[in-house]
Amino acid sequence: MVLKPYFPPGKLYFSVLVVALVFCTARAGAAACPEVNPEALKWLDKMSRSAHEVSYQGVVTFQRGDDMQVMQISHSVEGTAATESLTQLTGQGAQVVRVEHPLECVHPGHLLLRLGSELQSSADSSASVDECGISGHYRFSVTEGERVAGRKAVRIIVAPRDMYRYGYVMELDKHTGLLLKTRTIGRGDKVLEYFQFANLSYGKEGGQAAEVDLVHRATHSTIVDHQEDASAERYFSGDWTVRWLPGGFTATDSSKGGVRRRTYTDGLAVFSVFLEILPRDIQPGEGVVRRGGTTSYTRGLRMGDNPVLVTVIGEVPVNTARMVADSIAWVQ
Amino acid sequence: MSERLRESLSAVLDGEANELELERVLSRMEEDRELRQTWVRYSAVHSVNTGGHVANLSLDISQRVRAALHDEVDSYPLNKSAGVARRLLKPFASFAVAASVAATVVIGGQQLYQIGEPDTYGNTLAGASPVGLINSVGATAIQASYGTQSVPVLRPTVTTAYRELARQRMEKYMQEHVEQAALNSPQGLIPFTRVQQIQE
Repeated sequence: MVLKPYFPPGKLYFSVLVVALVFCTARAGAAACPEVNPEALKWLDKMSRSAHEVSYQGVVTFQRGDDMQVMQISHSVEGTAATESLTQLTGQGAQVVRVEHPLECVHPGHLLLRLGSELQSSADSSASVDECGISGHYRFSVTEGERVAGRKAVRIIVAPRDMYRYGYVMELDKHTGLLLKTRTIGRGDKVLEYFQFANLSYGKEGGQAAEVDLVHRATHSTIVDHQEDASAERYFSGDWTVRWLPGGFTATDSSKGGVRRRTYTDGLAVFSVFLEILPRDIQPGEGVVRRGGTTSYTRGLRMGDNPVLVTVIGEVPVNTARMVADSIAWVQ
Repeated sequence: MSERLRESLSAVLDGEANELELERVLSRMEEDRELRQTWVRYSAVHSVNTGGHVANLSLDISQRVRAALHDEVDSYPLNKSAGVARRLLKPFASFAVAASVAATVVIGGQQLYQIGEPDTYGNTLAGASPVGLINSVGATAIQASYGTQSVPVLRPTVTTAYRELARQRMEKYMQEHVEQAALNSPQGLIPFTRVQQIQE
């Protein structure tokens, strides 16, 4: 039972290319988007670039509730590519490495962060919020920051303009723009989780190696790899779509028919939608689990002739996940 | 919609609103069109989930919404008096905990069975759940009976099983999600720390 005549049509999700086009067209306009903070947008742009282009390493703590994890981060740039790693110093002791990620490979989330500063003074007066880029969905303010990992920081307070996303308080290195600390802020100014560098050094790596039990090689493909779940998951004969997304969210990869996952980002928040076709009916219902800033929302329903299970996982509020799950439908 | 109202609505939608927040949403429901539309969408989802049907969404149903909200509010004082009752009956608390844990375990088992086999009665195939749900609800509830103050809540049957399903799906899909998050949010690889057990 999927009824959805009430969702606004159109403007659902775009490929990266289309988003870029929309942005570029908007630039030809004249008047500005409301309440744009050009200084903050410049910092976001710098933050995104430094995350890719600067060599650094350090120890990062990540805290949600009573749980604190500590990890070692390394990011080194050689020529036109970056190699990075995350080594868990607590918990499982796994390592994640991403080797030779080309600097020119800028994914949609970072594209949104960088385009913000180009858009700020240029969208025309009839521009919709989407054409104002990230400023259409968050309100930014810049203040003096605290000291993080021995570095002086500038603080960017990021407040959502709607109820579909969380807020953030970010501390950026005053000199490099590197993101040193992020607090994710939920309803009632509650800190849902935060991470921060405990120490940080710039330049090429020389640090000692931690003992590692497992190494995972992270991908950086923009095309969904259908092979990886070929054995376990049922294949879909038809394609499916998400008919409602909160404003400003765009797909992170170009997935074609037959995928079981789609992921969306607004530059700061990311969520993924997973679809499973079930062999038999289940009782319709929904369930939610939250851990720090992450929500997992699962819903069993019938979609056309198929009993399906929809799961939305991401750093968004429950009601966002619920509305996204509700809008899922087969493409006719 | 004001910031405060948005937060209150958000709380209502998440099922976490206190009386004050419910009241705030309720009092603004009539004149705030955006608030009303968001609520309509939510209640439609809720209606579908609970097996009802959605009709006439274009209608202004603020009256009905208000009535439904009043019902919700009416049920809240119950919680309050339950709290008072619990304080008065403190000496019996441990007995109550034990009893409700037992009830939770039994109901937990039934729920999972229902999710697994909604339309059969004689069929008792173990592990035949179409969603691959692993029955760990019972184990969790038993643990809760040692050394904790919380009294397990008896929820409508399917709810607890779905909650467990959401937890298991979070575990299953988290790595695939953070793989994308790591590329598309400013924290680099840090989102991987959300994964409980990183796989190769």
